This record gives sequence, C-alpha cells and structure tokens, in this order.
Amino acid sequence: MASENLLEIKALQTYFHTEAGKVSAVDGVSLAVGAGEIVGIVGESGCGKSVTAQSILRLLDEKSQASYSGEVYFEGVDLLKLSQRQMRGVRGNDISMIFQDPLSSLNPLLTIGEQITETIRSHRKFSRKNAWQEAVRLLRLTGIPAPERRVHEYPHQLSGGMRQRVMIAIALACEPKLLIADEPTTALDVTIQAQIMDLIAKLNRELGMSVLLITHDLGVVAEVCHRVAVMYAGQIVETADVATLFREPQHPYTIGLLQSIPSLDRDRTKPLQAVEGFVPALHQLPKGCRFAPRCPHADALCRTEMPLLESKGSSGSQARCWHSEALSQKEAVRHA
Amino acid sequence: MTDSTVQEGKQQARRTSLIHSQPVRRFMANRTAVIGGVLMLLLIAASLLSPWLARFEPQAVDVVSRLKPPSVKHWFGTDNLGRDVFSRTLNGTKISIQVGLTVALVSSAAGLVIGLYSAYYRRLDQVLMRIMDGIFAFPAVLLAMAMMAALGPNVSNLMICLSIVFTPAVARIVRSSALVVKEQTYIEAMRALGASRTRILWLHIMPGTLSPLIVQGSFVFAESIIVEAALSFLGAGIPAPMPSLGNLLSEGKQFIYNSWWMTLYPGFALILSVLAMNWFGDGLRDMLDPHARTKRKRSRKGSMNKNTSDNNNEKVSSATQASS
Amino acid sequence: MVIYILRRLLALVPVVLIMSIVVFLIIYLIPGDPARVMLGDGADESTIQELRQQMGLNYPLLEQYGRWIGNAVQGDLGRSFFLQQPVSTAIREHLAPTLSLALFAQFIAVLIAIPLGVRAAVNRGGLADKTLNAYSLLGISVPGFLLSLFFVLVFAVRLKWFPVSGYAPLHEGLGSFLKFMFLPALSIGIVMSSLTARIVKASMLEVLHEGFVKTALSKGLRQNTIIYKHVLRNALIPILTVVGGSFGTLVAGAAVIETIFNIPGLGQMLVHAVERRDYAVIQGMVLFIAIVYVAVNLAVDLLYAVVDPRIRLQ
Repeated sequence: MASENLLEIKALQTYFHTEAGKVSAVDGVSLAVGAGEIVGIVGESGCGKSVTAQSILRLLDEKSQASYSGEVYFEGVDLLKLSQRQMRGVRGNDISMIFQDPLSSLNPLLTIGEQITETIRSHRKFSRKNAWQEAVRLLRLTGIPAPERRVHEYPHQLSGGMRQRVMIAIALACEPKLLIADEPTTALDVTIQAQIMDLIAKLNRELGMSVLLITHDLGVVAEVCHRVAVMYAGQIVETADVATLFREPQHPYTIGLLQSIPSLDRDRTKPLQAVEGFVPALHQLPKGCRFAPRCPHADALCRTEMPLLESKGSSGSQARCWHSEALSQKEAVRHA
Repeated sequence: MTDSTVQEGKQQARRTSLIHSQPVRRFMANRTAVIGGVLMLLLIAASLLSPWLARFEPQAVDVVSRLKPPSVKHWFGTDNLGRDVFSRTLNGTKISIQVGLTVALVSSAAGLVIGLYSAYYRRLDQVLMRIMDGIFAFPAVLLAMAMMAALGPNVSNLMICLSIVFTPAVARIVRSSALVVKEQTYIEAMRALGASRTRILWLHIMPGTLSPLIVQGSFVFAESIIVEAALSFLGAGIPAPMPSLGNLLSEGKQFIYNSWWMTLYPGFALILSVLAMNWFGDGLRDMLDPHARTKRKRSRKGSMNKNTSDNNNEKVSSATQASS
Repeated sequence: MVIYILRRLLALVPVVLIMSIVVFLIIYLIPGDPARVMLGDGADESTIQELRQQMGLNYPLLEQYGRWIGNAVQGDLGRSFFLQQPVSTAIREHLAPTLSLALFAQFIAVLIAIPLGVRAAVNRGGLADKTLNAYSLLGISVPGFLLSLFFVLVFAVRLKWFPVSGYAPLHEGLGSFLKFMFLPALSIGIVMSSLTARIVKASMLEVLHEGFVKTALSKGLRQNTIIYKHVLRNALIPILTVVGGSFGTLVAGAAVIETIFNIPGLGQMLVHAVERRDYAVIQGMVLFIAIVYVAVNLAVDLLYAVVDPRIRLQ
C-alpha cells in the first residue's frame, strides 16, 4: 500500500525553538497522498496545517528556528534525510507550492516572465529563449489572456486572481508530481476563488498532478478533495474520504466545523454555530485531549488522557476521540 | 469617560518616564550600558582630578625633556615643548566632556522646544521643521566649521555652533514622538476638558518625549566630542595653546614620524570618551525605547518569527551623520 | 515618471532654499564689519571699501541675498579676495582629488558593507552578525580622521607600506593613485561602511520575511540567488537612501582627511580659507556641498525608479 502513495508522511514532528523553549507546532502527523489524488488539510488558523505543508518542502529556517523528526517519503525517498542541495532539486521540480497571498508571494521587482523562467532554468537545461516560450505556454495553460504581453509585466500590474494564476504557472513550470496549495484562495474575491479552485481541479484531472490542499474552508474541501484530514493544535484529529467525513463526522471538532458552515438547506430558525473558544497556544497545551477545553462532551478521561488516532465506524475513517462512537450514533439519530 | 481616560493616559505617560523602576533594572542588566556609564564617570572623575593625578601642569614647558617617550616620570611621554602628554590628555578629555555636555544640554533644550511646538502647531511646524531640515542637510563638520570661521575660534563660540548644528536632530526626534503622544486618547480628553495648550504641551505631551530625547542627547554628546576634535584638529575649533584633544592630535600629526605617543594616547582618550557615551546611549535606548520593549515582550511569548522585531534594534541615530 | 521626477525636484526646493539662506547668513555671524575682519587691523579705508563693494555689503540684506543667489544659480559663487580668482574656478580646480577620494571611499564602504550586512542578516547571531555589532560601534566611536592617523602610524610610519602623505591624480596612473589614496579612502570607507552595513542588515531582515522569499525557496533556487537576486534587490531602496544621503558627509569627511594626507582638494582649500577668513570661498564651498547634497538626492530618487518598477511605471 505504501508504495502506491506519492507522498507519505509518518509521525512528522516540527519543532520551533523559541525563547520559551522547544514547542512542537506539528505533533505526530501521518498522512498520505496518492498519485492523482487531491487531499485536503482543514483546520483553524494556528492549528499547524501550514507548518505541515511547509515542513514537507522543509521551507522553515532549520538554522535557527525549526527542526523536524519523523519521515516524509516522496516516491520512497525520505525528504527529511536529504541534504540541502538534494532538497533544492525537489523544490519547484517534483513538488511545488503556492501560497495564500499571491501579491506578497511574487517578487515586485521582477517581471512575471523572469519569475517563471528562473524556476525552469534552475531545474531544466533550457535556453533563455525556450524558457520564455515555455513561460508563455504555462501562462496560457493557467488561463491568462494575452500571455505574450503579460510575461513582460510586473506583479503590481495584475489583478489578484491573475497573480494567483501566475503563481500556479510558476508552480507548474517543471511539471511537478505534487502541488501543495496553502490557502490558495483566502486572499481572493469569492468569484475569483471559484475560478482558481476550478483551475486546480482541472490541472489535477488533466495533468494527473496530485494536490495537497491546505484550507480552513470545508466548502472548498467538499468541492474538490478526495480525502481530507482535520487538524487541531498540531495533530490530526480526524481523517476520512470526503463523502464519509461529511456524512459521518467522528470527532466533535469536525462536527463543530461542519455546523459552522452556512448552507442553503439548513434549518434557518437555528443559529449558525461557531466552535467556541480558541486554539491553545503551543507552549500551554492541555494535558489530555487537546480539544477538551472547547469540547461540549469532554469528561474527566478527556482531560487527563490523550486519545489516539484510531479507526472508527465502517467507512475507514480515523478519529482521535474517546467518545466518537457514542457521538456519531447520536449524530446519526439526529439526522434521521 | 474622560476622567478615567485622562488618568489612564497619565499613567501611560508616567510609565515611559525615567523614574520607573523596571527600566532602571533593565539598564543595570544591560552590561554595555553599565560599562559605558561607569567608563564615563571614570573619565569625568579623572579629568576633574587631573591637577592631583598628573604631576605636571598641562602647559608647563620643559625644553630639556622634549619629545621623550613614555616613562615612569611622563606616563604618556612629552611633546615638542616638553609638556607632559598625560596631563594634557586628561585636560583635553575634560574640555571634550565639557563641550559635549554643554552641547548636549543646549541642543536638547532647544530641540525639545522646537520639536514640541512644531508637533502641536501645524503652521509653526511648516516653518520650523523646514529650517531644521535645511540645517540638518549640511554635514555637521562643514557647517560648524563655516560658522566658526565667522564667529572666531573660542570655546563658547564652538559650543554655540555645535548646539546649532545638532539641534535639528533632536527636534526631529522630539517632534515625531510628540506627534505620537498627541494622537492618544487622553490628550484628546484633556483638550475636551478645556486644559490650556501650554499645560497640555508641557505637562502631558512633554513627558512622553523625554525618553527619546535623553537617548538622542547622549548620542549628541558623543557626536559633538568628535566634531569638536575634528574642528580643533583643523584649526577651526578651540584655539591652539589650549590642550583640547583635537589640538593634541594636530600637534601629534606634526611629529608622527618619531613621537607616536603624541598621537596614540590622545586618540585613545577620544575613542574612550565617545565609546563610553555611545555605550551609555545604546543602553538607555534599550531601556527606554518602546520598540525594544515590544521586542522583549514578543520574544517572551515565544514567537516563531524571531527576526521580525529586531530591526528597530539597529541604531540609525540621526546624530551619526557627522562621522568626520 | 516625469511627474515623479518633478515632484521629487519640487520637494527639494524648500531644503535648498533654507540651505542657501543658512550659507548666506553665515557671514552675518561675523562680529563687526566682515570686510574689516577679513583684511585685519592694518588695512586702509579704501581697500576696505573696495572689498565691501566687491562683497556687496553696501546693499540692503534682502537685495544682497537676491544678488548672491541669483549669481549662484548662474554658477557664479563670487570672487576670492585672497586667491584672486572666482570661487567657482577655485572649486573646480580642487574638486577632482576630493571627489575621487570620496568615490573611492564610498566604493570601499559598499564593498565591506554589503557582504557584511547580508551575512549578518542571513545568519542572525552568527560570526558576521557579531562582527557587525562590534564593527558598527567602532564606526560610530572612531572618527575617520583619527583612524587615518592610526593608519599612518602603523602602515606608513612603522611598516612603510604606503607614503605618509601626498597625491597623484588618477590620470597619471592607477598604481600611484592607489598608493596615495588607499589609506585615506580606507579610513573614510571603514567609518562609512559601519553605518551602511547596519542599514543593509536591517533592510535585509525586513525583506527576508516577505512572502516572495519563501516562494523563491520553494522554487528550488540557490541560496545565493535568493539572497542577492531576490532579497538584496528588494532591500536596496533604504540602502540607496543612506548611501546617497551620506555622500555630503562623505565629501566633508574627505575634506578633513585631506589635510592629514596633504591632498590638494576642497578640504585643504577650505581649511586655508578658514585660516585666512576668506568668506567668499567658505560660503561658496558650503553652498557647493549643499548643491552636491541635492544632486545626489535627486540621483538617488532616479535610482529608485531604476530599481523599482512600481515607481517607474506609475
């Protein structure tokens, strides 16, 4: 099974070295992305989903800030064991990444073309001219009108949606097998958001490129993802395929997230529920289940013992909760 | 609402003032600042005690023992007229500190007034700050030299010139921090309560500008020691027979081939004085600067991005423009 | 772009105006009659009157300023009574040594400051960072003229690697130019570089957290490509501002250093003018430096546009 997966993260720990001591922003995350699959990671801001994404490409400053343990296999090679030079050959080549804010993610002083071609030319032996032609092709692929003209423009001359398309074009430059999209639509207008997600889904279908999608938006997950992992306070609290997650959520946190999505067919007499409270700070995590302080069902066991991520129900989903069986039955009753 | 706002605001202003004990503790914890302060005190003590420390009058000529290298008798050697370099160096340090202190005080006072009123009265701001900018644009040594040429070289003229040259740097700092204080709610509240402008300006806005003023003042102190030395060295500062550090270096230059001690020791005295003030100022800033404080707070929280906050730590003091 | 340049020019007008007024007023700091002071006690009345006439002291103050600034705009900075030549000519004759010294010093400063500041920013708390901290304290605390005295003591007097003083113009050969200019330029350059290196570091740190740095990393670019092509380029604007803004100080610093190395530049001319109380030369020189300040500021503004397309294309 393991060999079929393009990316396989095993018990990943990402530590930050702060003055308050060493804290783990990612705490034992295991996750797999198969070839051609779109996997989502959902959670509130500060839950460690972005750090997980950046840990895969080892983008955090390992000299002073961060260190990793665990294993991140990509095509059977543990990325965490690679040298910085070997890692450079993976970044932008086998695995690409796009970020939340396309304006700040693009260098304001370089033309779009330069920013695309430098990726191509750092991994492929392309002449300058061929690289520019390739850049135009990539821009056209991402649906940018008049790409011949756009390659010579600067980021500030483009709209937000266009900039994210440019980011995607850069990411596609070396035909990566995996695209990590870290909240790719958060900074964009709603209409543009849909276009960008459609583009990502299309590229996944047509190029067979796997996607790891980081988002806080379960709606986006429902639309494009095949499988999803819910993260809370540095841990995965639930993972399932999308249909199962929406049909039979196991973890109270997932249930809370689902209840906070507005939808057209919901009962409008009931108020929309938000998950109360905040994500705990990394250096003052609760002893037992990390969600216990915010959980409406928490009891003494939850507050002292941390539950493990275990298979629940019949559809192969896993959750990190002592009471998920009881809860999901209750949930099922309520839906019926 | 207004009363409690005013009260709170006052406390806020007091918190930024010097007497608060936590800054003092932080200052003591700051090693370089303490070293700088102690060094400065030592230099001041040594220069005040020079009649007792040095066995020779700084001006006493002894033609027989001229250009003698350092010895037990003459610790720093003697110059071309047989004068004791140690005694002259101590004296020069004294003059430098006198000039530095006076200039720091005068330009701080002038800068405070100009900065405060510019911050408060917009129309005045246009005139005063344009003038300050104009003066600030000149290299300090050059402007001071031109003014000295007109006024004639003596110590009090030098102090006047340097004070004029360094006032804009202080005024700019005071003005910008006064503008920040002025925008705070409790000042609005004071105004609504009908407090007089003078009262608001001096009782409520002024305390908020004191910390940066003191820090800037200490840098002006250091800077004016340098400019004084440069001017005297060029013969446009303190007139020749007087043993200022610049004059000593100028004499030393003439005999640099054979009598290194005439250059080296006054040079070190100059560096020590300036270094002491800069260390002291650095320490003061770390202790009083609100940026340095937020930095501390942030790092205590255990922020992941350690480098975000450190930029303010870079000393880009505007008084450093005169690196002659 | 044209509007940008015009706006920058316009912003400099009040500063220049104030600077010129300050320069003009310097002569009124003289206690008593400037002409009499210049000529000394023994001068006869007719010479004094002649000088007064030449200096335009007999006109009302405002008219004097008007005449003076009017002439200055046309490049006429007055006539030196002692040199018996126009001040502008004297400045032109002494300009080359000072300017070449200043540029050489700036070159050395940038050569030290950029790598040091960049390394200090990239590797916080590392060797370069610690060096920079000590180095910048040295830079603020040791004035350039003192540093050059020490250099003379060690490298010229003791080790005899360089001549103690003197000057050879660049057109007589790079070798001899460097031989004479290295120590003076190094002393100014070191002092200058400590300020610049701090700015480089601060400015680099600011840019290092920008999103595009992470993008560049995720693209698999080399570290040096990221640092120099992406980060340094974006950090350049504050650096340019400081480098440009310090050029006037640099020229003034060069003037002080010149007297130590006996370089026949503006500084030496100024010191002689101060000794002789040659106010026309003093005023002209100071005004000239003010003009240099403005010109360099404008040049820096134009460089912004070269560096940053957001300014260029607005």
